Amino acid sequence: MTGRVCVGKVGAAHGVRGEVRVFSYTEDPLAIRAYGVLEDETGARKFEIASAREGNGHLVVRFKGIDDRNAAEKLTHMQLFVPRERLPEPKDEDEFYHADLIGLAVETKAGERLGEVIAVPNYGAGDLLEIRPLKKGQSVLIPFVGDFVPVVDVKGGKIVVDPPAGLFEDIPPLEGEGRRRSRRGGVDADTPTRSRFARSTSPSRGRR
Amino acid sequence: MARSVWKGPFVDGYLLKKADAARSSGRSEVIKTWSRRSTILPQFVGLTFGVHNGQKHIPVYVTEDMVGHKFGEFSPTRTFVGHSAAGDKTAAKKPGAAPAAAPAAAAPAKAS
Repeated sequence: MTGRVCVGKVGAAHGVRGEVRVFSYTEDPLAIRAYGVLEDETGARKFEIASAREGNGHLVVRFKGIDDRNAAEKLTHMQLFVPRERLPEPKDEDEFYHADLIGLAVETKAGERLGEVIAVPNYGAGDLLEIRPLKKGQSVLIPFVGDFVPVVDVKGGKIVVDPPAGLFEDIPPLEGEGRRRSRRGGVDADTPTRSRFARSTSPSRGRR
Repeated sequence: MARSVWKGPFVDGYLLKKADAARSSGRSEVIKTWSRRSTILPQFVGLTFGVHNGQKHIPVYVTEDMVGHKFGEFSPTRTFVGHSAAGDKTAAKKPGAAPAAAPAAAAPAKAS
């Protein structure tokens, strides 16, 4: 449970007094004030919230030391992080921070290692675990529900899964793998072209 | 214009057969389908479908509140990675430039 968690993103400057729009990723948007000093992506710059109020789909925030619009505009698109330790523990035992899940080892009930969690996407049908398999190939998605993920041991650093038949046996190759470069400059056989973007997430609740 | 009620919801016949077979077998399996146009019926609740998005099958665990929607709604075909910032435009044009790190999640997920 180390590392940092992104709790928001700065949007455009708001007004001429140094206020900025902030898109909060916390369940209660205004709870972003409760986590103390926020950091930028590198951790070099620190920001303390002087005031925050709700706007139309965002927060209007003034940071200490940012007093005019020119300074506020320089913060546009900056992500805001807090150390993981500052976040409260989830209330429910079946509730987890995405940041805690990412990086956990994935095993079967028999103890066979399958891979590692690399993302927790949600396409509208509940949370999924994106698993990078040990075998070379595309990542595998598995619904984050009790039927398929019976045990989540964050402290032990592992997740036990009961995958549906064939899910980890028929892993398709990475995009571009095994293909020849076309005359028009297509993919290189050795260069995986799959995007490594993870999704930014909002509070989500899967169902068993 | 909405679909006429007297027709009932549209579901591809082969998907119904696959779902019936999966339910009767009792095994946990992902029912692969390309039928994004099929409506989710009440008898699909509790089953997991792999809905194709043009590249891969996205697992969709059907719950009660999905009934009446189409499978395609839960398997996006496009990935929006955000607009580049004004200052990043020149950097984005560089061939082989590494993408910016994506944010880690702030909110807890729940496996209930």
